[in-house]
Amino acid sequence: MLSKLRVVWTVFYLYLKQIAIDGFIIFTVIIQPLLVALLAIYMLRDTEGFQAIYVIVGSALTGLWSGTLFFNSFNVQAERWSGCLENIVGSPTHLQTVVLGKALANITISLSSMIFSYPIAAFLFGFKLTIAHPSLFIVSLILTILALMSLGLVIAPIFSLNPGNILWVNAFEFPMYIVGGFLFPVLMLPVWTTPISYILSPYWAARALHATSSGNASLNEVFISWGLIVFLSLIYLYISSWLFRVLLQKSKEKATLGLQ
Amino acid sequence: MNIIEVKDLKRIYYAKVGVLRRKVKEVLALDGINFSVSQGELFGLLGPNGAGKTTTVKILTTLLTPTAGQACVLGYDVVREAEQIRPQIGFIFGGERGLYWRLSGYDNLVYFANLYHIPPDVQKKRIPELMELVGLKGRENEKVQGYSRGMKQRLHIARTLLHDPEVLFLDEPTMGLDPVGARELRQAIKNLQTEEKTILLTTHYMFEADSMCQRIAIINHGKIVALDTPTELKNYVQDLSIIEIEVFGIPSEAIQRIQNLDGVDMVSIENQDQKQALHIHSSDGSGIVAPVVSTLQNMGLRIGNVVVREPSLEDAYVRLVGGET
Repeated sequence: MLSKLRVVWTVFYLYLKQIAIDGFIIFTVIIQPLLVALLAIYMLRDTEGFQAIYVIVGSALTGLWSGTLFFNSFNVQAERWSGCLENIVGSPTHLQTVVLGKALANITISLSSMIFSYPIAAFLFGFKLTIAHPSLFIVSLILTILALMSLGLVIAPIFSLNPGNILWVNAFEFPMYIVGGFLFPVLMLPVWTTPISYILSPYWAARALHATSSGNASLNEVFISWGLIVFLSLIYLYISSWLFRVLLQKSKEKATLGLQ
Repeated sequence: MNIIEVKDLKRIYYAKVGVLRRKVKEVLALDGINFSVSQGELFGLLGPNGAGKTTTVKILTTLLTPTAGQACVLGYDVVREAEQIRPQIGFIFGGERGLYWRLSGYDNLVYFANLYHIPPDVQKKRIPELMELVGLKGRENEKVQGYSRGMKQRLHIARTLLHDPEVLFLDEPTMGLDPVGARELRQAIKNLQTEEKTILLTTHYMFEADSMCQRIAIINHGKIVALDTPTELKNYVQDLSIIEIEVFGIPSEAIQRIQNLDGVDMVSIENQDQKQALHIHSSDGSGIVAPVVSTLQNMGLRIGNVVVREPSLEDAYVRLVGGET
């Protein structure tokens, strides 16, 4: 167990070292959420019941999701392209453990979108930003990391099963902004979309973060969101383990581990 | 004790061809090969491109599933018991890939050392030792992207030795190295053998296989066409004499004429800048020299040095694989 944790930590910090200066990553997790925050503030600031913190948390969630989606969809592929996938699969460490370390590094980088969105609202527009329940917000943030990490572990093998799958990655970015309730409540959407939101852990993460930062929901609702994040994450992790087994089996059968 | 056992190993690749009417094409990469490697042996696998060498290594390193047959490493089945094999083997596939170019050489080794669950205190001692062994001491903190091809290859060697594996699979490890680097690497491999490591080496270089391997399997079109010691393999062509003739601007018609001479078994040509080296395999000994020279002179060709020599492993290889390289 200790050696597994050491693998996760090593992958985490060495991968962080590699991606911290990547231009695409800086755009995805910093510039894009800033643009989203700017746009949302301009659109919503004169509406009734506008809360700047809601927009900041929402735009940060868009950065977290975009980071999770893009980084994890290329997570295994990048190893394959660099020729490292065979070295990983041929080692005693399970590929999923390595992907977990990388997913955590991705989330850490993505979290910076929250830090960068804050000054936009506070200094550029002069909004007073306060978090209603700071301690509950931190717990929600930790559970958001769990939610996105487990979803990332599902995304990684799906986009690696077939090289053509990667073409669809962009199609999943904006729909999650909407069904995840990042910038506005899903109650505004058609009823048939509600079940989709319910099976997505980022939706419950958004609910928990919005509720604890804006303070406009009961504690009961927050606890329900937390419970569902944990429940869905466990299901995602189970699906992820199965998908990784399928991925490795297929790759060894089709000889695609070392493809360029 | 046999460390590697391969029985009737077969591997078929399926490739999709065509754009509108996609068809599945079968490529037979391994056609029921058999061999075994004993403890502490340095075993060579020789063959032309696409013969099945890398496929064999990938199956033995648990990275590829065989279509049929069985392969065992250290007594474990490569498909069913891959997890028992992986901590005890090391492998290198020739080339520069397989490293993190944006990390330093040292960080790369730390990364892979953790994948092999090597404790941090052991890593601190082992990584500098290996860096020194492969001649990268002093360059360990530089990013791999700035390394030369040879340095990357040497870093691969260090990576492979991190966990002190019992069995090593080296797939063309000296490919792309300069002569000095290749010689040092060969020496390092020989040193490993003195530590009783079992090594399976694939290479294109005959002298490398000849000087290093205790036994060699020659593989062609997925089949093992010969398996013996280098000395015995050379005996396959003991009946032959090899005549090497330097010529300048030889036309294909001349090669055809020589091929048709009595006593000529095979003719191959090697381009050397302004001239060509004609290699003639003959079972008539030096008696074939005169008719060959006269054929070339009759065609008005300029001839340089003429040498008659004993057959080498390369000659045996060329005969066994039918002139393919």
